Amino acid sequence: MRLRSHLLLLSAATAAPVLVLAVVVAFLVVRQERDTVRDAAVDRVVAIMSGIDAELRGSIATLRALAASAQLETGDLAAFHAEAVRILKAHPDWLDYTLSRPDGARIASSLPPSVSAQTALADRESFELAVRNGEPVVGSLAQWPNGQKWGIPLRMPVMENGVARYVLTAVLRPDAFTDLLRAQRLPEGWIAGIADRHGRFIGRLPPAPHGQLASESWRERMQRSPQGWFRGRTIEGRETYTPYVTSSLSGWALGIAIPVQTVEAAAWRSLWLVLIMVLLASGIAVGLAVLLGWRIARPIAALAQAAEAAGRGERVGFPLRTPIAELDSLSAALAQAAQAMHDKHELAEREKAALQAADRAKDEFLAMLSHELRNPLAALTAAAHVLRLAAPGDAAAVQARAVVDRQTKHMARLVGDLLDISRVAMGKVALERERFDLAESAKNVINMWRASGRLERHQLALDIRPAWIDADRARIEQILSNLLDNAVKFTPAGRSIAVSVGPQGESARLQVSDQGEGLAPGSAERMFDLFVQGERGLDRAAGGLGVGLALVKRLSQLHGGSVSATSAGPGKGATFTVLLPLVQPATTRSGEVVREPLLAPRRVLIVEDNDDARQMLHEALVYGGHEVREARDGASGLALAAESPPDVALIDIGLPDVDGYEVARRLRASPGGRRMGLIAITGYGQAEDQRLAYEAGFDAHLTKPVAPERLKQVMAGLQ
Amino acid sequence: MKRLLVVDDDADMRLTLKLALELAGYAVEVAANGREALHAQRRQPADVLITDIFMPDADGFEAIDAFRKEFPRTKIVVVSGGAQFSKRDYLPDAELIGVDATLQKPFDVDTLLGLIKTL
Repeated sequence: MRLRSHLLLLSAATAAPVLVLAVVVAFLVVRQERDTVRDAAVDRVVAIMSGIDAELRGSIATLRALAASAQLETGDLAAFHAEAVRILKAHPDWLDYTLSRPDGARIASSLPPSVSAQTALADRESFELAVRNGEPVVGSLAQWPNGQKWGIPLRMPVMENGVARYVLTAVLRPDAFTDLLRAQRLPEGWIAGIADRHGRFIGRLPPAPHGQLASESWRERMQRSPQGWFRGRTIEGRETYTPYVTSSLSGWALGIAIPVQTVEAAAWRSLWLVLIMVLLASGIAVGLAVLLGWRIARPIAALAQAAEAAGRGERVGFPLRTPIAELDSLSAALAQAAQAMHDKHELAEREKAALQAADRAKDEFLAMLSHELRNPLAALTAAAHVLRLAAPGDAAAVQARAVVDRQTKHMARLVGDLLDISRVAMGKVALERERFDLAESAKNVINMWRASGRLERHQLALDIRPAWIDADRARIEQILSNLLDNAVKFTPAGRSIAVSVGPQGESARLQVSDQGEGLAPGSAERMFDLFVQGERGLDRAAGGLGVGLALVKRLSQLHGGSVSATSAGPGKGATFTVLLPLVQPATTRSGEVVREPLLAPRRVLIVEDNDDARQMLHEALVYGGHEVREARDGASGLALAAESPPDVALIDIGLPDVDGYEVARRLRASPGGRRMGLIAITGYGQAEDQRLAYEAGFDAHLTKPVAPERLKQVMAGLQ
Repeated sequence: MKRLLVVDDDADMRLTLKLALELAGYAVEVAANGREALHAQRRQPADVLITDIFMPDADGFEAIDAFRKEFPRTKIVVVSGGAQFSKRDYLPDAELIGVDATLQKPFDVDTLLGLIKTL
């Protein structure tokens, strides 16, 4: 059901009792009006009847006086007649007089004797009543004499010793009463009538023939009740309300018939007024309900529309202003919901885009990986082909071997990078934090790079000042190495690479600037995403998988730091800045800054078949001031140890001839082997590997790649 | 004796292919990119062009187009390390790019030699 219908119902429900009340009031008013008219009419009737009674009483008084005259008592009928005739003349409403004996025989009369002789006693009933009761009686309408004219006998018994001696009768002219009615000046259309005991009209307005019976309805009512109010038809057949009253004196009834319309007109007027007002009120109520409904429904519909639009993801001008407070809060709530939905939608879109970008990057990475792995494999396959066919001493064979050497190293580096990034990405890197000077660490790395000759094609500008950090030394050095790697890769030979270290506000800054290809605008952030490759490096053989900078970012973040890249534009070089939380320098009790523990130079034997790994260990140890000897397999390692026992031996577990465990066991058994420091180096860091190492007699266990700092720590621990 | 032109941006790849093909008795010229390859071809036309299609300077496909126009009689063998991971890197069928043969890295040199013989 629509809101408008609800409001209509509401207004109808409110209006219904009012309407019922109005109808009740209307009926009450109608009745009141009618009662008012009736009461007024009844009063009028009573008043007129009093007038008639007064008239009759006057006549009765006159008649009584005549009856008491001395002439009658003395029997002087002639004198009495003269007196009676004199009185008759003084009363124009008296037609005749007669004096009769109680048996009805006429003794004297104003009628001529000839007429009187032929005239019978009229209205015997009233005559006998007067004789019987000894009281004056107003008679009924009768024709008088001999049907010539109509008259009303007024009987007065003349008593002697309680017995009627004579009956004196005055005959009243009926028209006198019609005149009386006329004198009332009744309103137009009203009908007044006086009826005798028998229901015959004595007088009427408008006039009716004398002796005419009153309407049946009135006569019926008169039978039932001496006075009242009824609705009936007049003799003319007009519909009227009639108040009537019966006189106790004469037994006559007076009725005034008021046309129904006259009585009901006022009532109907009131009724119409009430009806019109009710209709008007209802109309206004309905109109207001419709208007209100519209005012409420319109903003609701607008809200619904807006909510729908918001649901479709369209931008909506929420919140809508409405004239209704509740709708305003609904609107505000909807606006909030829409905003939340919009935000969520946008977030989802962003996440989707990010996912797609990540997916694309991964696809590209896989394609790149495939490419990067297939290329060296293709070169290796071709080299193998050459080695199979060419004589070992041939120039071709020599070149092919060099290719094999280079490409395998390249592949090894690729795989190393991959493993590293997966460990960092999976959060498997636990930082071994210590407090140290970033400057010292940076110098270490740069010196190692210099020693390995990897910086010899570039000029190096250094600005290194102390900045202490609480970090994993090996990982910090990895960060710098990767930044250097990146700089070297993208900077043409002969140009400069600058490394700067120092405090910057609350941070320790590590910055590497190059004069390489620079960055395309907007690509600075993406540089650090996993699998994103810069434009192809100058030397693809040295290219990587695009994980170096991603590692830098993750490692920086792991340390609570950050990394950013800036560039003046393509071709103008790039600057990578790592910021790490700065800490107070570690101090001794005396307040002196702790220096790194210096290791006494040791004689170190490296047994490692992997040239790169061996080379790296070699460089780190030589840089640390140690005396280093190398062996590529277990047998030669044991031989070197037999020649001159080393202080420390670094032994790879996966050797081509005997495994590292066996080498350790034999070294321990050799002369001076007990005091020898034995360090296992494996590609695996599982607990099982460590257990096997310790069982074989190793003092320590290092996992590849071995960070120089870690090596330094372990060696220090062996002292 | 056929003359071959090997184009690859990887120096070691160029070198090993050149050595292997020379061992099989071919005269082999090398180039690091499409531009160099066109220069070399104009100097001394080769019968077969063996090219990587994923090279830095000129896109491999552009080089192939240039060869098709300028040296329509030169046979072309495309080698690539690409795999089917992305559209860009997909090694298409030979007919699709209008070359005589394709090979995916790494490949057996004998396969390449057999291919050259059939051309």
